[in-house]
Amino acid sequence: MSTTTSKVPVSGEPGARPAGTSPTGPPAPARRRRTGLLFVLPFAAVFVLFMVWPVLHGLWMSFTDESLTLKGTEFVGFDNYAEAFGDPDVWSSLGNTVFFTAISVVPLVLLSLAMALLVHTGLAGQWVWRLAFFAPYLLPVTVVTMIFQWLYQPDLGMLNQALDAVGLGPVGWLSDEAFAMWSIAALTVWWTIGFNFLLYLAALQSLPDTLYEAAALDGAGAWRRLWSITLPQLRRTTVLVVMLQVLASLKVFDQIYILTKGGPNGSTRPILEYIYDVGFTGYRLGYASAISYLFFAIIIIVSIAQLRFMPRKEG
Amino acid sequence: MSFDHSGHGGRRRLGRRGFLRFGLAGTGAVLAPGVLSACASPAASDDPRALRVWDLFSGGDGLLMDEMIAEAERGADGFRIDRTILEWGPAYYTKLAMAAAGGRAPEVAVLHLSRLAGYAPGGLVEPFDLGLLAEFGVREADFPSAIWQRAQYEGEVYAVPLDTHPFIFFYDLDLADQAGLLDSDGQLVEMGSPEAMLEASAQLAAAHGSTGVLFGHVNDPSQNWRMFNALYAQTGSTFGLPDGGEPEVDIEAAARVIAFMQQLFDGATNPNNLDYDGATAAFTGGRGASIMVGEWELPTLRANGRPLGAAPYPNVFGQPAVHADSHSYVLPRQENADPERRREAHRYVADMLKRSFTWASAGHIPAYQPVIADPEYAALDPQSSYAEAGETAVLDPPSWLTGSGSNFQVRMSQAMQSALLGNASAESAAQQMVRESAALLDQPNPVA
Repeated sequence: MSTTTSKVPVSGEPGARPAGTSPTGPPAPARRRRTGLLFVLPFAAVFVLFMVWPVLHGLWMSFTDESLTLKGTEFVGFDNYAEAFGDPDVWSSLGNTVFFTAISVVPLVLLSLAMALLVHTGLAGQWVWRLAFFAPYLLPVTVVTMIFQWLYQPDLGMLNQALDAVGLGPVGWLSDEAFAMWSIAALTVWWTIGFNFLLYLAALQSLPDTLYEAAALDGAGAWRRLWSITLPQLRRTTVLVVMLQVLASLKVFDQIYILTKGGPNGSTRPILEYIYDVGFTGYRLGYASAISYLFFAIIIIVSIAQLRFMPRKEG
Repeated sequence: MSFDHSGHGGRRRLGRRGFLRFGLAGTGAVLAPGVLSACASPAASDDPRALRVWDLFSGGDGLLMDEMIAEAERGADGFRIDRTILEWGPAYYTKLAMAAAGGRAPEVAVLHLSRLAGYAPGGLVEPFDLGLLAEFGVREADFPSAIWQRAQYEGEVYAVPLDTHPFIFFYDLDLADQAGLLDSDGQLVEMGSPEAMLEASAQLAAAHGSTGVLFGHVNDPSQNWRMFNALYAQTGSTFGLPDGGEPEVDIEAAARVIAFMQQLFDGATNPNNLDYDGATAAFTGGRGASIMVGEWELPTLRANGRPLGAAPYPNVFGQPAVHADSHSYVLPRQENADPERRREAHRYVADMLKRSFTWASAGHIPAYQPVIADPEYAALDPQSSYAEAGETAVLDPPSWLTGSGSNFQVRMSQAMQSALLGNASAESAAQQMVRESAALLDQPNPVA
């Protein structure tokens, strides 16, 4: 990149040229644009190489029978998509992903809000709460699943021991089809709620005191202030949290893959695991790409729908 | 984790060293060849002639392999080995397949013999030169025929087995003695029938005070299949998965086997709801008299000092059969294979086989028979008491879609899990297995 000390003309400065009248080079805005492009180039190159190109290549693969092995690749048109629409495993795993999203987003939003409100009320030992609520988020997935694998142990696990102590029978936390997804959701809530909590806490701390002072002068009680000031002021944060959370939950894969491998009987297998199974253990990259694109379309639709709910302005 | 128990030291730990090596080597290759990769594997970067070897041995197995390689590197005509350890599982086989498809694979790799049907037909691995192997002292006669058969494809040998690792029966010697299940040589008596096995399990439970046989299967990708595969083969039936056809399964025999598994793990005499780690922890913690698990758990199981006996998987249905797999050496496809390095690869494989007495200490049965014939091996306890399992080894049905770490094993195991947990009947589990097999067979074969 050139490092010439060409001074950016400051308007009003004596001798400043009006834009676009440089006698020696292209007009200033154009030059600036070019310099800007140079700055963006390293990122853009990486972005194109590792993001745009794979996305386009994946789209192409979804129309072929590409395999991980040496078999030649043929163009198969919409065959993969037709197969995906008729594949019951696609629908059941998609259903699992949607179910997980539904049962994880609600607690992850409501509980994190409640936790942030509690901490924000000026509870003694703030840092302890902040740390306790946020700490699990810092754990790697392998550690979290290891902890819960032992908590959920049917025989020696703490949860079943506790049930036993109060005279209840054991629960197959990860082995009973009726419980497994809920157990995964509980783990996920414990693990990731810290991030939403932090977003809410930051939003709460940035609310102006004047609103509360005015309300207090008007005789509004604590509940009234919560309902009429705090929650409406948090609307944008809530939309953001919900949006991020829905996308994060739709992407669920690792904790399930490690803990149940999609079992029992496929009841926790998310769509991403099915794509992984098809593509990487079944070697069928073309078909896996087609399912990915179907899922991608769904995510785009969800995102657009959410954007429409996003309030344009504060309040 | 519940899915990395596969017969190569599947202790519950990630292959951290391997992961780091692979990760660093990868980073090094991309960012700074010759700088970062130097930390990844010293032997590798100093010497471009080093033989690259991929394996999936972590934990205790990994240390033994380190030891064997270190010995092989000593001396004037020692090898230069650049070893990469990768975590077992679907990902290992994906990486190996991709490396071979790309033609830049290592000179030697370890493959479960059960996976060969997914590698040889597609040309992902190349045949061994038997003349060359013989030159280094390794011949067909040195292997059990059950294993050697599976190492071939269209008359050529594509894999050289290092070991056989069966799914077996470990028991507490004192409790088995109390239960009256040991013969005069101190070995487990023959079972011979489902009733006898159930009776033995009840006696073990009585001797122990609560639990006879432990078995961890919940959410495990292979365990139910391993047990089923042994028992089903004992009925004399075969599980056929013809390419492009329908699964050929004796549903009645399959249901009989699953019903027996349900009876054995009835939730009273023996728990039916343990997962893999729960079962091994229960055994080492003294919460059961015996455990059905792969022999690769030997180091874990004997760590707490219980008097440990081992036997091939009991013959319940008549025909001796034990589920097993075999870590085998293969020559992955290389775009421009160097004949000198190929030769060196043959020499290396032969050398490792001859060192497999070291390998046996983790529990694996050496495939190279001269090692087994050695009196030193007979003195290994309890390894020598299940050595015969190599003779009756039954691997997965040969098909591109089966084998260690395959989706097939996961699907089969999950179908049986419902039955064992009491949520489905044996018949419906057997039908589900056939249905799932048919669905898998229905996919286009990606390697043919």
